[in-house]
Amino acid sequence: MIPASFPDRARIDARDKVLGVARFSADVPVTGVLYAMMVPARIAKGTLTGLDTAAALRVPGVVRVLTEADFPAPPPVIENGPPPPPPTLEREIAYRGQPVALVVAETLEAAIEGAAAVVCTYAAAPFAALIDSEGGVREMGEEIVFGDAEATLASAAVVVEGEFLSPTQHHNPIELLATTAVWEAGRLTLHEATQGAGGTRGMTARALGIDPGVVDVKSPYVGGGFGQKGGLGQRQTALIAHASMLLGRPVKLVTPRGQIFHLATYRPLSRHRIRLGATAEGRMVAMQYDAEQEQSRHGIFPSAEYHETTSRMYGIANYLGTSADVRIDRQPPGWMRAPHPQASGFAMESMVDELAYRLGQDPVALRLANTGDVDFRTGQPFSSNHLNACLEEGARRFGWSSRTAEPGSMTADDGSLVGWGVACGSYPSMMVPAVATLRIGADGSTRYAASGHEMGQGIRTAIASVLLESLEIDPERLEILIGDTTAAPQHITAGSWGSAGAVPVAMRAAARMREAVAELLDGREIAGNLHRRLATVRRPFLEIEVSEVGPGQGQDVLQALQYGAPAVAGPAYPTFTTMSYIAHFVEVRVEPTTRRVRVPRVVSIVDCGRVISPRTAESQVRGGVVWAIGAALREATEVDPRYGGYLNNDLADYVVAVNADIGAIDVGFIDQPDPLANSAGLKGLGEVAMVGASPAIANAIFHATGRRLHELPIRIEHLL
Amino acid sequence: MHPFDYIRPATPQDAVAAFANAEAGARYIAGGTTLYDLMKLDIERPPLLIDVTAIAGLGEVDIGDERLRVGALVPMSTIAADPDIGRDYPVLAESLAKAASQQLRNMATVGGNLLQRTRCMYFRNGADGAFPCNKRQPGSGCAAIDGLDRGQAVLGTSASCTAVSPGDWPVALTALDASVEIVGPAGARRMLVADLYRLPGDTPHLEFSLTPGELITGIEIPRPAAGSGSTYHKIRDRESYAFALASAAVVVQRDGDLVSRARIALGGVATRPWRATEAEDLLVGQPLTIETALAAGRAAFSTATPGHHNGFKLELGARTVADALLIAAERSRT
Repeated sequence: MIPASFPDRARIDARDKVLGVARFSADVPVTGVLYAMMVPARIAKGTLTGLDTAAALRVPGVVRVLTEADFPAPPPVIENGPPPPPPTLEREIAYRGQPVALVVAETLEAAIEGAAAVVCTYAAAPFAALIDSEGGVREMGEEIVFGDAEATLASAAVVVEGEFLSPTQHHNPIELLATTAVWEAGRLTLHEATQGAGGTRGMTARALGIDPGVVDVKSPYVGGGFGQKGGLGQRQTALIAHASMLLGRPVKLVTPRGQIFHLATYRPLSRHRIRLGATAEGRMVAMQYDAEQEQSRHGIFPSAEYHETTSRMYGIANYLGTSADVRIDRQPPGWMRAPHPQASGFAMESMVDELAYRLGQDPVALRLANTGDVDFRTGQPFSSNHLNACLEEGARRFGWSSRTAEPGSMTADDGSLVGWGVACGSYPSMMVPAVATLRIGADGSTRYAASGHEMGQGIRTAIASVLLESLEIDPERLEILIGDTTAAPQHITAGSWGSAGAVPVAMRAAARMREAVAELLDGREIAGNLHRRLATVRRPFLEIEVSEVGPGQGQDVLQALQYGAPAVAGPAYPTFTTMSYIAHFVEVRVEPTTRRVRVPRVVSIVDCGRVISPRTAESQVRGGVVWAIGAALREATEVDPRYGGYLNNDLADYVVAVNADIGAIDVGFIDQPDPLANSAGLKGLGEVAMVGASPAIANAIFHATGRRLHELPIRIEHLL
Repeated sequence: MHPFDYIRPATPQDAVAAFANAEAGARYIAGGTTLYDLMKLDIERPPLLIDVTAIAGLGEVDIGDERLRVGALVPMSTIAADPDIGRDYPVLAESLAKAASQQLRNMATVGGNLLQRTRCMYFRNGADGAFPCNKRQPGSGCAAIDGLDRGQAVLGTSASCTAVSPGDWPVALTALDASVEIVGPAGARRMLVADLYRLPGDTPHLEFSLTPGELITGIEIPRPAAGSGSTYHKIRDRESYAFALASAAVVVQRDGDLVSRARIALGGVATRPWRATEAEDLLVGQPLTIETALAAGRAAFSTATPGHHNGFKLELGARTVADALLIAAERSRT
């Protein structure tokens, strides 16, 4: 049964985090720990021809320098099997910053000094660092085709077209990549900052050729993931694990941010060419969309997924989507919040805005007239689609009706140009299997163990909301174990499926527990909470285990879950498609002389089905909007094609938004449960929160200045 | 990062003597907000750090009728928040309030801030030899000139170096004709802040006019004429914790509606704090309107030489000067 609205509840780990009690992976105290530091390659491509460790080994405190010779060969690639684990140390250099050696020392200082003392010689090879560099190899991805876009475009009354560019961007969570490996009594414990403890276990075991059954991974708190700590695994993990196994002592690495820029995944630069056709009345009828992105030589971040949302958000019946990778010499790109639609949404929603102006229609009205109930890509109905309600509520809160359409027609008292822009976003709502155990003790304790990772998004609070709403238990002694392979099998938490993987199974656990209690009490009426009732009947504890799978998934996915393999259902389920939706309304002010852009207010209204944890949900949306402001106006990673690597590799020069850049962000939820998506009626939220906010800013800048900007970030020099 | 020795002398004389006895490359350190950063990047490898924060008498702020004297060890945040300085020297307080972050301003000193080194990305990133840099490794070349130069200077550049002087405070001090007090092996001396900075020429590794072992102990700032208005206007990629794309420190005196004296210094656009005397001269005897202000701004950049991606700084800089002039004029009385 779909639950009624959930009440506001404080973040259950807020106090621990403020007090510094919550332990992130780098905080876990380990006695006798050694410190590691990687030595990054100085060249962008080529071969490591010499590695002189003598000076490094002379640094007092340096214990060992690991090189490629210390590691097993990479495991064989299995056809249609899981993606290979990240490589360990190799002599062939595929990108600048690739680790070529690992220095392990008694102190962090010695490790740093030792790493700087390793002398490497290289045979450099020609390389391609940018999408347009000579030597890039273009590889077409899957085409997404339905209807007849070419013919419809040829006869469409109105066609708008444009090319858009989204830059290379890095996640930059505040928490750095951190691994502590403890090899003890035949078991390897990894304290790892990861969104996928199960995947990390499997990847590390395969990289080192050891039995995953002896590996435990613990990641109870992650200080921001955003995809960086997700699916592809970290190259450093197996290095540190192997060092601990070789040396027989715990080894710890916290990777400096400048190295993370060169090692971790990132949002690849992408280009988007769109032709969008409509009837004279403004019905969107056809779209041709060619996307291409920068890609590493062996990367797997899929190019076809730029079409995942653009093919579904409006009822466009004729669609021709192509995609391409351009393979160059960089580390693999990957999933970064709102992975594909941050870029594709910028392109599409800019085009929709342009279409509204071309037709002389209001951009909100045009969108309202184009949403639909059918996913033309599959022919199936949407399980729910409240995008129009988002648009209507957003327009009302924002005061959209007082907007004058003409660009440059609205000004503030100080002479600033005022721009009001709107854009929509959508994102697949997916679901993953989960296994949970719930144990309630007569002593007042409750222990709940399940799959999930707390990256700050509030998954613990959402789980607690469900348990505390449905069970009379002591909230002070509720322990929620997640991100821990010793407590429950761990699916990667990403792609906005965190709540869908965590909440329905928690509801099922609570329901099963209520049944178990009823069975135990067998009709006896006993006062007090569940702990009290157990105590009264002299039962030390009750424990139940339940599992949950997504719509259309069989029980076999629980097996995949045990191995830490991804097992994701949706957005196209057997009989319906499920998407989350958002509408963003943005006001910008453009200063008359210097053309400085400010964003004083944003209204964002979301359809994510039933809201489980109102406070953390709102916070998720604010965070997405803040990031979108940064992505639209500030963030880009700089690559000099002559050298490779990333130049602005710290938080001073990689410019994310700061508090002073952020004005009012008003968040609202439709809070209508999706009856088909899952038993909780919820849809994903974390990704969709960001989708569309960057184009809403770009559209507002168009409204303020009359300039349609086709490249992010939009900087002051583009408006002078 | 490499091991180093560390001492904490109690007097300027002891500090100077320690420097004289040290092997080459010793550094004075106060807040450490630049030096530690560059040590971690392996750009600075001092064998000895001489911590000057225990030296008595360098932490005083003295607001006199004729001048303001600030000890070298005063934290940036103290000046940024001082109500009297905010009233009498707004350009100074604003330059510090808009610099760095609150945490950095709490640590960093106004003396050390004068010697902050450039943020040129090729300078900061190349300790492993990946990029040539004439400043880091004399004679190796400049990667920035034909590279990603959006942040580089357009004024005072040379064929060897286009690195921007990053500070805000030195720009404000330059506009106010401030001077620094120095002690060194050859005794004490004073120098205009404007003279502290060298143009890169073909020796961009020589950034300051201090001789080895000299230590800045204080800063003296003449009080602007009664009735003058001043401001520090800073345009950057975000609204705090960012270096200037273009900034202007201006002091305007008016006689009736006409400018009797204007002082203009530029930041974020030049290889040193840049006094724009052509612009100043152009304004004398003129009313301050958006047109005259923009004309002055453009004059400030008449000798500028843009690179590949930083040409916008000419127009942005001119407009920043114009806005700053109008803000300062608004604050001035006749």
